Amino acid sequence: MPVFKTPFNGYAVKFSPFYEHRLAVATAQNFGILGNGRVHVLDLSPAGPISEFAAFDTADAVYDLSWSESHDSLLVAAVADGSVKLYDLSLPPPSNPVRSLHEHTREAHSADYNPVRRDSFITGSWDDTIKLWTIDRPTSVRTFKEHAYCVYSATWNPRHADVFASASGDCTVRIWDVREPGSTMILPAHEFEILSCDWNKYDDCVIATASVDKSIKVWDVRSFRVPLAVLNGHSYAVRKVKFSPHRGSFIASCSYDMTVCLWDYMVEDALIGRYDHHTEFAVGVDMSVLVEGLLASTGWDELVYVWQHGTDPRAP
Amino acid sequence: MREEQVQNAVKFLSHPKVKGSPVMYRRSFLERKGLTKEEIDEAFRRIPDPPQNVSNAQPAGTNQVVTDGQVQPLSNVQPQVPTQILQPSAAAPAGVISTLTRSRFHWSHALLAKSVVPRLKSWIRKVVFEEEEGSAKKTDSKPSLQQEAAAAAKTAAAAAADVARASQEMLLSKREEEKYFKELMNLIGMQVQEMKSMSNAIQKLEGNTHGRTHLTEQDHRVSAKSLRQPNANGNVDFDSYSARSSPPPATVEPSAAPHPKSYMEIMAMVQRGEKPPNIREINDLPPNPNQPLPNPHSAPRAKPWEVGQTQTSYSQVLQSHESTYGLNTNLQDNGFVNQLNGDSSVPWWQKKNVRITEIENEDELKRGSSGVLTNERPVQRSWVPPQPPPVAMPEAAAAIRQPKKTLSEKQVADDQLVADPSNAIDELQRITKISESGGVVDANGGSSGLSKRFSESGVVDTNSMSSGLYTSEIQEEQEAY
Repeated sequence: MPVFKTPFNGYAVKFSPFYEHRLAVATAQNFGILGNGRVHVLDLSPAGPISEFAAFDTADAVYDLSWSESHDSLLVAAVADGSVKLYDLSLPPPSNPVRSLHEHTREAHSADYNPVRRDSFITGSWDDTIKLWTIDRPTSVRTFKEHAYCVYSATWNPRHADVFASASGDCTVRIWDVREPGSTMILPAHEFEILSCDWNKYDDCVIATASVDKSIKVWDVRSFRVPLAVLNGHSYAVRKVKFSPHRGSFIASCSYDMTVCLWDYMVEDALIGRYDHHTEFAVGVDMSVLVEGLLASTGWDELVYVWQHGTDPRAP
Repeated sequence: MREEQVQNAVKFLSHPKVKGSPVMYRRSFLERKGLTKEEIDEAFRRIPDPPQNVSNAQPAGTNQVVTDGQVQPLSNVQPQVPTQILQPSAAAPAGVISTLTRSRFHWSHALLAKSVVPRLKSWIRKVVFEEEEGSAKKTDSKPSLQQEAAAAAKTAAAAAADVARASQEMLLSKREEEKYFKELMNLIGMQVQEMKSMSNAIQKLEGNTHGRTHLTEQDHRVSAKSLRQPNANGNVDFDSYSARSSPPPATVEPSAAPHPKSYMEIMAMVQRGEKPPNIREINDLPPNPNQPLPNPHSAPRAKPWEVGQTQTSYSQVLQSHESTYGLNTNLQDNGFVNQLNGDSSVPWWQKKNVRITEIENEDELKRGSSGVLTNERPVQRSWVPPQPPPVAMPEAAAAIRQPKKTLSEKQVADDQLVADPSNAIDELQRITKISESGGVVDANGGSSGLSKRFSESGVVDTNSMSSGLYTSEIQEEQEAY
């Protein structure tokens, strides 16, 4: 299983929705405390090693990125200086970025492209807001300001074109409909900060939340008093959750305990896989939409791993 | 008359605490409880207690006092006083009142102090007057009664004065306590102010550095209200320290995730106001903000959950996709394959549960890639494990096995490679990479034959042109076999 070493600490990894062999990595210098950032676009090769297709330097740390669902060569990056940058891989690096949208007043922490309408994306920021953008407009379409603290993650619903969820440090998850003026639902999901949330791709009312309290909770938004499942097993804060694009009940998660875990929340003994290949905080994880069972993860140990579920990520 | 009530009343009156209370209290309590006067009297009769006699003898005087509409304590004092006065002993009133004063200070006593003295005096005058008028009760001579009354009045007044003094003392002590309390509050307030100013100073210091940190404490939510920075609570490991902007996720106390050592070092640097040395000035603004956006190169691909098929059928699609690599001329065009950059080969990542020990050929390939371009057969079949991998997912393993079986049956499908342009391109690219890393293929040989071949195969792309050289080389070599 190939490994890629990035010069900076990894923050996020995302598979391209167009090309099975392509993925992008967001990295930050000095753990994201203070320093530059870099976006890597990597290619998997059949032979094994990961090669770098392109890299883009940024003045500040890159916390997250998202591939466009409409254009195979476009990439959105959320940067720590509050800007949102658009990169076009069909242009050489000196012509990039093609856009820099600077509206957030604090760090932009997450970016997600709409998989249904394919025309817009949302960014979540530490300025407590989520902004809706389209790639052809220089300014945001809408700003959603209700959270009381940093928005750590905002993700679109995989089936409903206008619905998204946001996870915040104010310990709530809010469900929004772009057509509505305010949030349509508030889930007080955890007692501590919620770092990530993701929708079930096969059940459009089910959402998973990951929190500082080391647990992942799976909720049905229609009855949010009691979670469908509580997944315990991480020994430190869970940084990211991702529902599998292929199996409705599979969830991948990564945590400050340096592991990436795979869960099946419908099953009594939910933990079905545990990978401890990272030697520092595991901060980013993704499951490929195009290749079933393909996982990628990155962490502060400056390594990007890509492996098949069931295999050893560190195997050469 | 209700026996039960009377008995309850008896129990009540027998209680030691009740016994210490003024009789009028007891009476009024029982009245409040709904007992009739008869029942109350009966209860009193049953209790062997001196005050009973007193209360019985009282009616005339007490009624008078009570109808004055006095405060309870007043009536408390007065009945006892007059009865005592009426009796021969003059010492009693003093005793009674002194017990009154000796008892714990009560607000009623303060009230007493204010209202007792004048009332008492007037009442005493009244009683004395009445006594003078009605002569039936006592056998004593009136003058002696008067004297007694006067004496009693004096003692009463003295006692009242005592009460007044006591209550004044009480008030004084209360004021003192208040003072102490205020002082305490002031001190605490001062401490709070100091702490606030300290934290402000610290935050200003932090504000001068442009960084952000990861928190391990959870209480930055509290500090979010001030400056969205966590409280510096002086932890040695600096985890709680913050830089300019709000921190990202924290871990739950007490198990804060241990941060890497170099992270600590950088945090320390930032705190000191130093900038880590490796930061470059980068201009990451778009060189052309109006750069037109590209046209999409390929159509968006359907998501697995959007596809109407079931999951298994999707994986079947995938498997058939795998099988097309290098084998069949009839490519199943399921949209995965025909991409210029795309990979229609069966790469390692599409194999499930492949264990590394079986992929010997891949190892060979890797060794080969470092220098010599070894035999091309392994190159093309390197991703085929010689033995089937151990099964963790039987159905997947079965599915994977099928295409590889067919592959091993066939010979090297190089002619099919060429016949199929897109496959050829991928193969070419891969081989290009290998040879770029040090292959020995001679690019110059056979170039004349190349162009023909190229025109035959219809490969137009310039990319594959150059790598086509290698393909032809390979083919020539293979044909030589």
